[in-house]
Amino acid sequence: MARRYTVSLVLIICFLLVDQVVVMAQRYKEKEDKNEQNYGNTPDEIFPFSRFQEPYIRHFIHPAQPYLGPGRDKPEPTDLEEVRIGFLGPMEGSNIIEYGTQMRQGAVLAMEEANTRGGYKGLPYKLMLHNDVGLWGAAANEVVKMDDEGVWAILGTIDDINTHVALRVALKVEICMMNTGDPDPTLTETNIPWLLRVISDDRQSSYALATYMYQEKGLKRAAVLRTNSRYGRVGTGEFKATSERMGHPVLFELRYTDGETDFRGQLENIKKSSADAIVLWGNPKELGLIVKQMKELGMEHPVFACDRLVDPKFIEYAGEGNIEGIVATKQYKPDMSYPKYRDFHNAYVKRFGIEPDVFAAHAYDGMNIIIQSIEIGGLNRAKIRDVMLDLETFQGYEGVTGTMYFDASWNDIGEIHMVKIEDGEFVYFPRPEFKSEKASSSTKEISDK
Amino acid sequence: MNKYIRQHLKKMIAAVIIISVGLFLGFNLKNINNKPGDGNLLKSEYTGGTSSVKEANEIQELKIYDTWTHYTTGNGLPSDKINCVKADGDRIWIGTDKGLAIMEGNRITEVYHKEDGLAHNNVVSLEVSQTTGDVWIGTMGGLNRYSAGKFETFNQFNSGMPNDVVYQVYCVDKYVWVATGGGAGSYDIYNKKWEIFTEQNAPMHEPWTYGISGGDGKVYIAAWGGGVIEYEMETGQMRDYVDPDEEMEIDLFPDDGVVHDITTGTSYAEGILWVGTYFGMSRYDGARWKGYFDHDSGLASNFINFTKAQGKAVWLCTDNGLSNFNGETWITYRPVPESKKGEVIITWGEDKKTLITNSTISHNFIWGMDFQDDVIWIASAKGLSKGEASGKLMANAD
Repeated sequence: MARRYTVSLVLIICFLLVDQVVVMAQRYKEKEDKNEQNYGNTPDEIFPFSRFQEPYIRHFIHPAQPYLGPGRDKPEPTDLEEVRIGFLGPMEGSNIIEYGTQMRQGAVLAMEEANTRGGYKGLPYKLMLHNDVGLWGAAANEVVKMDDEGVWAILGTIDDINTHVALRVALKVEICMMNTGDPDPTLTETNIPWLLRVISDDRQSSYALATYMYQEKGLKRAAVLRTNSRYGRVGTGEFKATSERMGHPVLFELRYTDGETDFRGQLENIKKSSADAIVLWGNPKELGLIVKQMKELGMEHPVFACDRLVDPKFIEYAGEGNIEGIVATKQYKPDMSYPKYRDFHNAYVKRFGIEPDVFAAHAYDGMNIIIQSIEIGGLNRAKIRDVMLDLETFQGYEGVTGTMYFDASWNDIGEIHMVKIEDGEFVYFPRPEFKSEKASSSTKEISDK
Repeated sequence: MNKYIRQHLKKMIAAVIIISVGLFLGFNLKNINNKPGDGNLLKSEYTGGTSSVKEANEIQELKIYDTWTHYTTGNGLPSDKINCVKADGDRIWIGTDKGLAIMEGNRITEVYHKEDGLAHNNVVSLEVSQTTGDVWIGTMGGLNRYSAGKFETFNQFNSGMPNDVVYQVYCVDKYVWVATGGGAGSYDIYNKKWEIFTEQNAPMHEPWTYGISGGDGKVYIAAWGGGVIEYEMETGQMRDYVDPDEEMEIDLFPDDGVVHDITTGTSYAEGILWVGTYFGMSRYDGARWKGYFDHDSGLASNFINFTKAQGKAVWLCTDNGLSNFNGETWITYRPVPESKKGEVIITWGEDKKTLITNSTISHNFIWGMDFQDDVIWIASAKGLSKGEASGKLMANAD
C-alpha cells in the first residue's frame, strides 16, 4: 500500500513539474512572439515600460483592424466622365505653401502619367483640389465636400491637425486616405481602417537621431528647441521619450512661435546650461535663423534636427559658414543612381521646372498607389480600401522614395536616412543600428532589408 | 528530495487545492446567480465602496431581443446607410447619409433633404430636447433645429458654431451641446449664443470632439486623443480623464483609467459613465475605472462607434455587432454570416452561451441606437432594425 502511495506521489510530482515546465515554456514563447512584433520597429529597450511591466494590451500588431462594414457589393457607376481623386493640401494662407505645391505637383505628375496610359478604362483621372488651411476643423468640411464631389480616394495632407480632422470624416463617409506628408506618429495610431501612410514618421526619426547621438556620438544631455505647434510637440515628444528610455533624459525643452526671428533668449538659456547637444524641430526658416544666432552667440554645441532642416532654405537663412556638421534625418534619399528616382526626377523637372522635394516624391508614390488600388479594386470605395490596406499588395512596394514596409497600423516603417552637412552639402548616410543585446528580430529584419 | 523542489511542490499542491476549491465555489455561485433564460439575466450584489458607488454597481436586468424587423430603401428610407436613430414618442427619427426620415406606426411618413432645409443630406446625429420638444439634427454640413415643422440651420458662418461636422448633439435644460470636428459647443437657446470649448480653454490637447453626453449636472465630452472632458455646468469647471500610461500603442493596465485616449463616445446614467473608444470600453462609477476588451469580455469588438447608457447598463454599437452589458453579464447580437439568422452570445465571467435566433440586426456594422419603451432601434450600415424581446428564444445552438 505504501509503495502504491509513493508511486502515485511520484506521478503527481512528475505531472506538476512537467506542467510547470510547459507553462514556463509557453510564457517564454509568448514573450518571444511579442518581442518579434514590437510596434513601430521599436527596440525592446525603448518600448514603453519595457523595463518594468509587460502591457496588458499591445495595439497595432497583427492582425490589423479590419473594415467590417458593407459596400463591396455596390456596382461601379456607369455614367462617369472622369475618375475623381481628392487632394487636401496647403495651397493658400499657410506658412508651408511651398510644401503643398510640391505635394500637389507630385500627385499631378503621377496622375498625368496614368492618364497617358489610358486612365481608368478610358476615363481620365481628375484631381479635386482642396485647401487644408484655415480654422481648426476646416479640413472636416473639405472632406465632406470631396465626398459630395464623388471622389474615390483622397491624398493629403501635411499639417497633422488637418490630417487627423480629415481622417475622422473619412471614416464616416468611407473614403480611403493616402497620407504622403504628415510625420505625426499619432496619425496612424487611431485604429481607423481607412488610412495608409507612405512616409516615415517622427517616431522613426527620433529613434534614428537618439541612437546616433547617444550611442554613436556618446552625447548625454540634449536640450530641445522646437516650434510651439503640434508638429513640434508631437515630434519632440517621441524624441524625449526615447532619450529617457535610453538613459539620457532631455535636460529641458524651449519653444518658439512660427514666424519669430529672434531666438537669442532661448539660446542664452541653453548656453548657460550643461547641455552637450541641441535638438531643433521646426520649419527651415526658423531653424536657419536659430543656427545663425547660435554662432553669433559663440555656441559650439553639436546640432541635430528633424527632417525639415534638410532644405536649401535652411542653408539660405543659416548662412553657409554656420552649418557644418549638423545632422538630421530624412524620409528618403534623392539618389540619381536609383533608376526609379532618376526617371521621376527628370520628368518632374521637365514638367514643373523645379527640383522635386520630399513632399513631391512621396505624393508621386502615394498617387501611384491610389491609382493602382483603383485599377485593382474598381470604382468601389470599400474595395479600393481593401486593396490599399491589405498589407500585401503594397508590402515592399518600390517607389521613387525607396522600398516601403507597412506595419499593422498601415504606417510606413521602411528605411529612414541620416543627413550630415559637409562642405555645405547634404550628405546622406545610413541610420545607425540600435545597439542592443535584445534587439527585436523585427528591427533586424527591417534594417537588413 | 531536493529542498527547493519540496518547497515549490508544497506551494503548487496548496495552490491546486485552493484553486480547485475556489473554482468549485465560484462555479456554483455563478450558476446560482447567473441563469440565462426567459429574457432576464441577473446578478450579484456589490459589497464595497461608498454608498453611491454601491448604488452604481447594482446590477440591472438585461433582456434578450430575439425578434427583429428591418427597414430599408424598400420601405421608403432615403438610404440603407443609417447613421443614427432617435425615438420621440411615437415617432422615430432616422438619419441616413442621404437624408432624414420620420417613421410613425412602422411606416415612413416624411423624408427630408437639403432642399427641404436640411443643412446637409448626411445626417449623423439626432437629439430631442426635453425642454422644448425641438429636434436637433447634426449633419456633415451644420446643425438643424426642427421646430414647428420648420428647419433652422446653424453653421460656422451664421452662428459661430465650432465646426460644421456635428458628430453628436446633447440637449440639457436650455443648452444644446454639440461635439464637432473643431471643438465642442454649447448653445444657449434663450440667449442665442454659442460657447466654444477647444484646446484654448479646455483641458484637451486638440479640439477634436466626437461624442457628448451628460447627467447629474455634468457634461462629458469624448475628446479624440484627449480622453474624456468633464464639464460641471454649475461652476463651469473642467477636468480631464485620460489613459494614465500616456502611450497610444499599449494599454499598460486595463483598470487604471480610460483604456485609450482615442475616445469615440460617452454616455452617463445613474452614476455610471461609459466611455467608448476604438480600443475597447471603460466604465467609471465615480470611484473606479474598469476596462473591457473583446478578448477578455463579451464585448462584440473593440471598435466602438456609439455608446448609449440605459439605466445601469450600456449598449455598445461596434463594427462587429451590438453589445449590451450590465456590469457583469454581456449579451452580444450579431448576424450569422450568409444567413438571416442571428447569434446571441451571452457571456458572464468565464462562461459563454450562444443562442441562434431566426432574425437579427440588419448588419454587424452599427452606427447608433435608441430605445422606445420595450423596443430598441438599431442604425446599421445597411438598414434600420427594430428589436423586440419576445421572452422566448427561437432556437438553442448549444
